[in-house]
Amino acid sequence: MELVYIFFGITVVGLTAYGLQIWAIRKTLCENEVPAGKGAARGFCPPISVLKPLKGLDDNLFDNLESICLQDYPEYEVIFSLQDYNDPAYKVVRKIRDKYPDKNITILVERCEVGLNPKVNNLIPAYRIAKYEHVLISDSNVFVNRDYLQSIVKLMSDPAVGLVSNIIRGSGGRSLGSIFENLHLNSFVLGSVCFLDRFLKMPCVVGKSMLMKKTDLDAIGGLKAFKDVLAEDYMIGKKMQQQRKTVILSSHVIQNINEYWGVRRFLNRHTRWGKLRWRIGGVSYISELIGNPVFMSFFPLVLCGPSGMTMSFVLIVSTLKILGDMVIGNALASTDAGSSSSGKESTPSSFLSVHSLWYVLAPVKDLLIGLVWFVPLISNTVVWRGNRYIIGKDSLLSPCPEVGLWSWRYRLADAIKTRLA
Amino acid sequence: MLLCDFHIHTKYSDGSVELQRTVDLFGQAGFDVIAITDHVVNGDSSFGKLAHRFRFTINEKNFHAYMAHIREEADRAWDKYRMLIIPGVEISKNYISSEKSAHILLIDIKEFIPACWSYEKIFLEAKAQDAIIVACHPHHSSEITTRDTLFLWKNRDKYAKYIDAWEIANRDDVFNVISLKKYPYIANSDFHRARHIYSWKTMLNCEKDVDSVKNCIRHNKGVAITLFRN
Repeated sequence: MELVYIFFGITVVGLTAYGLQIWAIRKTLCENEVPAGKGAARGFCPPISVLKPLKGLDDNLFDNLESICLQDYPEYEVIFSLQDYNDPAYKVVRKIRDKYPDKNITILVERCEVGLNPKVNNLIPAYRIAKYEHVLISDSNVFVNRDYLQSIVKLMSDPAVGLVSNIIRGSGGRSLGSIFENLHLNSFVLGSVCFLDRFLKMPCVVGKSMLMKKTDLDAIGGLKAFKDVLAEDYMIGKKMQQQRKTVILSSHVIQNINEYWGVRRFLNRHTRWGKLRWRIGGVSYISELIGNPVFMSFFPLVLCGPSGMTMSFVLIVSTLKILGDMVIGNALASTDAGSSSSGKESTPSSFLSVHSLWYVLAPVKDLLIGLVWFVPLISNTVVWRGNRYIIGKDSLLSPCPEVGLWSWRYRLADAIKTRLA
Repeated sequence: MLLCDFHIHTKYSDGSVELQRTVDLFGQAGFDVIAITDHVVNGDSSFGKLAHRFRFTINEKNFHAYMAHIREEADRAWDKYRMLIIPGVEISKNYISSEKSAHILLIDIKEFIPACWSYEKIFLEAKAQDAIIVACHPHHSSEITTRDTLFLWKNRDKYAKYIDAWEIANRDDVFNVISLKKYPYIANSDFHRARHIYSWKTMLNCEKDVDSVKNCIRHNKGVAITLFRN
């Protein structure tokens, strides 16, 4: 019975932590920086090179890429970089370039295999030809408003700032996997990033948007220094901080469009991210389990069996979690209203928010995430482009040995998976 | 080469994605030409009656609204994606016997053609409207949920002269008999769900306008097929 009370206690701690995360999110969203064109940042509009690494067709790809080409910003170039002409994204970027012949758009197709991280491999040639000192790395699955560049660049007016990243909001779910993904991005991921930034002053950079200066990036070894790192975004942020450069989380919200994900893809992504956090964070990874109150609330139910008390506890915790997610959803939706009223809104109406009914799926998602949490404890490998890598300290990748116990272990697992499929 | 898909269903019949969303899905993925081809089902069989009962079919009453909506979307798709949309229907003659069943794409159709007409009458009317006639999934399909439509293949000696192209590949299936007979061919997705976008497609080497596309299919020169994968 004591054990049950311990889990009750852990769940309450988890709920409290979640409450603090919500507070951190709201605080970050409300504390908008000086509006563009005012104060110290007035007139600070340096030319920017936007690097867009492309691989395959992301959901909403055309609109995502178009949105970066339609910025209200005086001078910037967009470099779309691909590894080969047969990539289906190549056709899409050509259409974008043809549609906007007056924009400074470059399509760079160059195979680069210097490292094990495919995104970094894709970025290295684009970085080489980037013309300007300020470089923005922006993923292809994000949709941005017209004032995006203006909003983030003003934070770079302070020479002490080394990197500006953004708040990411999952949008556009039309399948179960996408709904789970967006719910998770808008609760756990967003909450953790804001919590770490606000309370622990730890930069937790999400690579979907990273604005830097070339001199600062070169000072930490350039992109090549991260060619074999799985979490290149986090490590760039960490190195910047070690160089005594400030890493800022901008309150400007960018949308990560996830429309047609399957549940398997959702699980795969968060298994991989879990492995990263386990290898980077070590023991602090345990806090993630404690910070999942819905999952923890099921332990008394499992240990004591269904009873009025345990069932009510699960129900109350799940309801509180749903309400918490809805509070964050409303806070994020209000940022759309803000940008809309300022005439800068360019978000398609279909992406506006997570549908209210979908929030009831949040406890199911949290249960799945709770189960996924255990995977990194027993596996430290990822499969990328058909190759298996071992994730080492600070997410350093190394090829998985082709011989010995490793190889047999995974051959057996793959054979079982294939048979089941 | 133009990336094309000429066999797409929407919520106007049994597709699960509404027309506007379907257009956006293909536009966002960089397609050059698509044809919207919702089912026109025969009402003279039990299958057909069910389709009419549950409104999984275009009929004479909603045909003009369907065409107007496609035209509206075609304008939007051209402005936004430079993607050409051609209106069409899939005449669906469904019977219990797969050897009696046939599905026929009529691409760039102008007026309604009922599926209960005879094959000759349908083909002649489609020709009169200058529509492209395509025999859909003409051979045995691998999907267990799909019923075969073998009538046109079984009666090819009689009907091949009316048919502008045969589907040599449909979604994940490839019908090598079309190749062996050296019939003109195209490949399509038979799109009903979002995931069907990743399937067999046609590549055409021609200008991006309706007449050039139709001529390219009819003459079957500069036609290639590709398995569109992400």
